[in-house]
Amino acid sequence: MTTRFSRILTYLGAILLLIFITAPIMWLIIAGIIPEEAVLRFPPDWFGLGMTTDNYNYIITGEIPRSHLVSGQMRTMISQEVRLVPQAIRNSLLVASAVMIINLIAGSLAAYAFARLKFPGRRPIFFTITLSRLIPPVALAVPYYIIVKNAGLVDSHFALIAIYSVLTLPFTIIILTLYFRGVPKEIEEAAEMDGCGPFQVLWRVTIPLALPSLIGTGLFAFMLSYSEFLFALLITTSMKTRTLPVTLTGVSWNPDVTWSLLSSSIVLGLIPTFLLVFPVWRYMVRGLATGAFR
Amino acid sequence: MIAGMGDDARPLHQMDEMNTMKTEHTPSVAARHAPKAKRFSIRTRNLRAGLWMITPTAILVIIFTFYPYFYAIYGSLQTLSPLLPTKFVGLLNYKLVAESSYFITAATNTFTFTIIVVPLVVLIGLAVASLLNQKFFGDVALRGILLLPWAIPTAISGVIWKGMFANSWGAVNVALYSLGIIERYVPWLTTTGLAMGAIAVAHVWTQFPMATVLLLAAIQSIPDEIYESAAIDGASTWQRFRFITLPNIRGMLVVVTLYSLLIALTAYDITYGLTGGGPGTSTTLISYFTWAETFRMLNYGRGAALAVMVALTSLVLILLLLRAMPRDALLEE
Repeated sequence: MTTRFSRILTYLGAILLLIFITAPIMWLIIAGIIPEEAVLRFPPDWFGLGMTTDNYNYIITGEIPRSHLVSGQMRTMISQEVRLVPQAIRNSLLVASAVMIINLIAGSLAAYAFARLKFPGRRPIFFTITLSRLIPPVALAVPYYIIVKNAGLVDSHFALIAIYSVLTLPFTIIILTLYFRGVPKEIEEAAEMDGCGPFQVLWRVTIPLALPSLIGTGLFAFMLSYSEFLFALLITTSMKTRTLPVTLTGVSWNPDVTWSLLSSSIVLGLIPTFLLVFPVWRYMVRGLATGAFR
Repeated sequence: MIAGMGDDARPLHQMDEMNTMKTEHTPSVAARHAPKAKRFSIRTRNLRAGLWMITPTAILVIIFTFYPYFYAIYGSLQTLSPLLPTKFVGLLNYKLVAESSYFITAATNTFTFTIIVVPLVVLIGLAVASLLNQKFFGDVALRGILLLPWAIPTAISGVIWKGMFANSWGAVNVALYSLGIIERYVPWLTTTGLAMGAIAVAHVWTQFPMATVLLLAAIQSIPDEIYESAAIDGASTWQRFRFITLPNIRGMLVVVTLYSLLIALTAYDITYGLTGGGPGTSTTLISYFTWAETFRMLNYGRGAALAVMVALTSLVLILLLLRAMPRDALLEE
């Protein structure tokens, strides 16, 4: 009796959860494949006008959607800004990849040092580096902007890559330190006996053994950089350098843009993170969540 | 600062060469006769390698962490603006910030926002974690789907929720109207109280998955035997939750609560995309205010003062967070 009741409660909860999580995402997908008039209809009737790929077509090829050509009196303007979305995706991918590579190189070096080597100041340096990241980014925004401006690096990907590297490295180092310490010490010692120095041990033994977590951690840094908004907003001032979150929020405040076009550009922009979330989860977060706090 | 580091690096490098020579000598002598000397050489080698390995990170952190902190404190004591000459003004910026009515509004809004969202994030996280801890049809798929809001950049989540709450065509209005719950569309984003509700819902949507994941991990690390013996003793589901689950995940609950607090107090991206701080100033949070003060009003000095205030507040929370964390999880030998 009570078990059946709790079963029903479980499924009810699961359905509510599913609706809450997916409703906004479903709305994005639906709005992207119906014509704009269907979105604006009252009383609501989303599927009354059929489906279309015009929105995606416009973003990628620049071919103006039929609905904009027909309904002249309703909407003659079309926001050209959504055409910048593919460029913004490229910018975000470029910045995020560079940050990932820096994270993997600098991060695995530092993590190995913290995990395996003894040197003076190891503990204080570790805690300074990792705790420095906990101060909220918004508190650093103003000084970062001034530094970047004085260095003449406003509107460059270089500044953004450097800032994101600093923001992601402490976290990368914490996680890699945990993982590197999980690598069996005996194998590393055997390599040392064979005459490998610390750099060789790291490169030939530790990295190959910890490769999955290394990939997961790198992809995590990638995702954070792909998503970052505040610093990108401050530093990238032209279309050429703007990253995806900045471009999309900018477009969303443009009165000429329609929800159909906006939602289809969001869908395009989310493809990389949705592809990456599962490997990141598989290789990094799960190990972290189950291992670190046990 | 960078030049100073270069000067320091030179003697280190020379020392390094000397050490290399030493290590070239020692193994041949030490290999057979003196294990102590060999250990010593490995130790110096490790020492140098360790320092070299942390150098790239250390350089980045010094340029982009310590220098900015220093600069923020320094700048907050000046009149710093592209429009005015720079001048030392003491604590004037702090006074001006604290007295401005816009700041008080932003601080109040942030407080209200935090009070609403933190309990929601933690409680929903706990409820969903308990739900996902059970076996049911589609549980694995649901766990995967749970990650999607987390994978979406927060600023973009703000835009997405603007599409949900839009006054004249948003999906929330369409759904409520179609179900017959409302007779005319509700202007969510242009009504003062409702706009705050909207950003709260959007924020909870972006934040509860992480809370769930952490709490679920904590719940799953509780040994099954405890539950089994409790079930044999006739404990009800609620009793098992109350007397086994809750006490065992208390540490993680504290961590999740403090973390949510930190995120809520510095929330920025979500309001930018969703309401832009409006209508009026009703959803302007401290972080958005900092940004506006600095870059709209072009008052870097006051922005820096605000930044220092935000940083100090978070520092207190961080220290609490650290006390709640397992102490030796990271660096013990």
